[in-house]
Amino acid sequence: MNALISLSVLGIVAMLSEIFNFKKFLYSLILLGLVAAIGVNVMEWGQFQLWYGMMIVDEFTLAFSGVILLTGFLWFLLVADNHQDKAHISDHFAISLFAMAGAIVMVSYNNLSMLFLGIEIVSISMYIMASTQKNDLGSNEAGFKYFLMGAFATGFILFGTALLYGATATFDIQKIGVFVTEHNSELPAIFYAGLILIMVGMAFKISAVPFHWWAPDVYTGSPTLITAFMATIVKTAAFAAFLRLFITCFSGVELFWNQTIMIMAGATILLGNITALLQNDFKRILAFSSVAHAGYMLLAVLAMNNQSGGSLLFYLLAYSISSLSAFAVLLAVANLKGNTNVQSFKGLAKKNPFLAFVVIVAMLSLAGIPPTAGFFAKYYIFTAAIANNYVGLTLVAITGSIVSIFYYFRIVIVMFEGDESTEVTVGSNTKALLVICSVLVILLGLMPDFLIGLLK
Amino acid sequence: MTQYFFYFLSFLAIFFAALVVLSKNPVHSVLYLILCFFSIAGHYILLNAQFLAAVHIIVYAGAIMVLFLFVLMLMNLNRDSEPPKSWQGKVAATLAAGLLLLVFTASIKGADALPSGNQPDNTVGLLTNLGKTLYNDFMLPFEVSSILFLVAMVGAVMIGKREEVSE
Amino acid sequence: MEFIIYKIILISAVLGLTLLVAMYSTYAERKVAAFMQDRLGPNRAGPFGLLQPLADGIKMFMKEEIIPDVSNKVLFVLGPCIAMVTALMTGVVIPWGPDLIIGGTHYPLQITDVNIGVLYVFGVVSIGVYGIMIGGWASNNKYALLGAIRASSQMISYEVAMGLSIISIIMMTGTLSLREIVEQQAGAHWNVFYSPLAFIIFLICAFAECNRTPFDLPECETELIGGYHTEYSSMKLGFYLFAEYINMFISSAIISCVFFGGYNFPGVDSLGLSNNIMAFLHAGILFGKIFFFIFFFMWVRWTIPRFRYDQLMNLGWKGLLPLSMVNIFITGIVMYLAGKL
Repeated sequence: MNALISLSVLGIVAMLSEIFNFKKFLYSLILLGLVAAIGVNVMEWGQFQLWYGMMIVDEFTLAFSGVILLTGFLWFLLVADNHQDKAHISDHFAISLFAMAGAIVMVSYNNLSMLFLGIEIVSISMYIMASTQKNDLGSNEAGFKYFLMGAFATGFILFGTALLYGATATFDIQKIGVFVTEHNSELPAIFYAGLILIMVGMAFKISAVPFHWWAPDVYTGSPTLITAFMATIVKTAAFAAFLRLFITCFSGVELFWNQTIMIMAGATILLGNITALLQNDFKRILAFSSVAHAGYMLLAVLAMNNQSGGSLLFYLLAYSISSLSAFAVLLAVANLKGNTNVQSFKGLAKKNPFLAFVVIVAMLSLAGIPPTAGFFAKYYIFTAAIANNYVGLTLVAITGSIVSIFYYFRIVIVMFEGDESTEVTVGSNTKALLVICSVLVILLGLMPDFLIGLLK
Repeated sequence: MTQYFFYFLSFLAIFFAALVVLSKNPVHSVLYLILCFFSIAGHYILLNAQFLAAVHIIVYAGAIMVLFLFVLMLMNLNRDSEPPKSWQGKVAATLAAGLLLLVFTASIKGADALPSGNQPDNTVGLLTNLGKTLYNDFMLPFEVSSILFLVAMVGAVMIGKREEVSE
Repeated sequence: MEFIIYKIILISAVLGLTLLVAMYSTYAERKVAAFMQDRLGPNRAGPFGLLQPLADGIKMFMKEEIIPDVSNKVLFVLGPCIAMVTALMTGVVIPWGPDLIIGGTHYPLQITDVNIGVLYVFGVVSIGVYGIMIGGWASNNKYALLGAIRASSQMISYEVAMGLSIISIIMMTGTLSLREIVEQQAGAHWNVFYSPLAFIIFLICAFAECNRTPFDLPECETELIGGYHTEYSSMKLGFYLFAEYINMFISSAIISCVFFGGYNFPGVDSLGLSNNIMAFLHAGILFGKIFFFIFFFMWVRWTIPRFRYDQLMNLGWKGLLPLSMVNIFITGIVMYLAGKL
């Protein structure tokens, strides 16, 4: 709740900076504000609060809010050197801060109306941000595609919510959960229809196969900064919302939906990884890898045990920081070379050993190779899934991660080829971001127990 | 009596909704959609929710659809400008919509014997009760929705504003 | 049964009165214009030219009816119909006077007292745009289309400020029913004294909603020939023109009811007349107020020149809208300080 308030206030301050002419302090103000928000969030740890029955502040909320705030802070570090559109800077900042506020709502909702609002705040911000480069056809296409598809998916969520309300006469997810366990055998068909509709809508938001079609185009077309935001913060919020909804409301009818999600997860992993193999554009590879990672994370939802929350948290954090550093390097390279093709990374290792090291760490983590965070992320998620007897699916997931090694390492190999490259320069903020991300990835890989112990 | 009204309004709503999809001229579609909204507003009145009915008319029929009409009239769409759809797309769309219809029809079955059992409060749609619900139980969503509108407004201005050409 | 007969009589009476007033508004407009410009105005048909509206009406009916060949015929006819119907629909919720009591039964001088009366008015007004839009589009004429688009964007823009301005009144009265709003203003407790800013905003917006000068851009002759009704002739044109006068009458009625105490006037209640006579006296008072505002509409028309379109939009969005929001704040603060919250 405090995080929500501070982010909203920061967003409003960002908007006002246009009027009151303190744009040049705005950036440092936002960084300070985000640090403060993280501090407040940490201070709240261990508390339990229910706000008007609409928002719940528990360890789950605080942990995922922490991930969102941390990723947001790191993302803003990336913004400093790569923000080209100086005219709209305060609007852009305001929208991204509001999007983060929406993400906080999505991880802390206790009522389906709040879930809907959170999803809408995040989605609408992203539709706008995706289409901010007005002169770029790809950005326009991305914004428009995302908007049309996203609006349709939101419609599904809303319709499903209405049907759930019709069956249970409440929007409160805890009451729905109680209702489901009490009337387990006599749930009406309308309830199941609602469940399926919500599931479809949420699967769209996390870009799980077969609702992933928007993801590659939107991720590729959007400005790379925004893609980084979408792949990390939005994904974190969507997955936390997904997990909370299914654990609180639908754990009583697990047998009804687990087959569907299982197939979805398997298909997402295989399709995401195999399609990523065929891409030549690094941004598109990252897009498909983000689809594939959604598949792994679905395993945590399927596990439905006390390891789900912790393993999902670990996975999301590991994935977010690894992706962020990959996107940061991509931005630096793309700024120099003018395209995001894999070949533009040629010779990076010779001229920029630091950047190359960062990319290697990120790729190792994304592929899930020890001693990086990604390895333990996958490990925990797989053990959680196996604990709930999803051995077959886990084997599919392992196959998927083996496939993924090929395309992650392709970029590493390209970096060591040739030496005609000019040196890529990165700003100090980006450097700080890269150092923090790489250190975090390795630290989490070396000491995973701390984070995984947070949520039991 | 109410029941007959219900069926009549439902028939109208579905009829006009079908016409929205079927009519060739997009302007006609919008006009049918407005009529569809009116039938839905009638449903709200049957549910004793006059405020919702009025707001539905003012906001949807009176403002949003006018903007739709606006755009359509200015774009001057006609049959030729619409690209032909492939037969695969048509088949898939029909299949998907048919399946969805099947699921919904099936889900209505048994809906009259809902275990939730608690009778809905049929005065909640009245103005004072609605206000009390909105400002007590749903205070937080009400406030949070202001962030949503702020985002939408900032975005609309940002995208809609004419850029100063620097080159 | 008796109830239905009474309602039918009342509806016919209100309909007839509305049409009559609208008819003679056309006459009054020309007389007022003549007065302002130091002329005589119409004085040939009947004494003082009083039969002029009838003559105009007959002329309208007799004119050749032209429907452009390429236009969409159904929509072309539908346009003026919608304009007319929506203009007439608003009169339903206006309380024309207190109850008549005949044989112990109360007969309210209001067709129906909806508990969302104000919203009903806004709903009907917002539908009124379609009459103009459909007509303008179906004419298949670029001037008509431009006029229609101007009209609709103008009406939507000003509807926002109008709705927000009236919120301060609703905050004070705590009801959306027009009858209750009027009854709360008994004596001289007129809302205009408590919320003058709201009244001014509402009045300006009413001008824009009725497409009256200085906001008559939809039919701005110098730029758009005849505006949205360029292609219309005969009685369809008559319907559009007539709807405008009906709108003027209805907005005057609403302004009187919401801000000027409706049928109330200080001191009238102490005259000690019998109930039914009082009811008619009250109705007369309301009509007096309405006629004043109709005169005011005409007064402004012959005084202030037409705005430019960007000035119109600036005034609406940058002037009236923030002002009406400020008004809501002020009302809230004052009500809080007065202990009414």
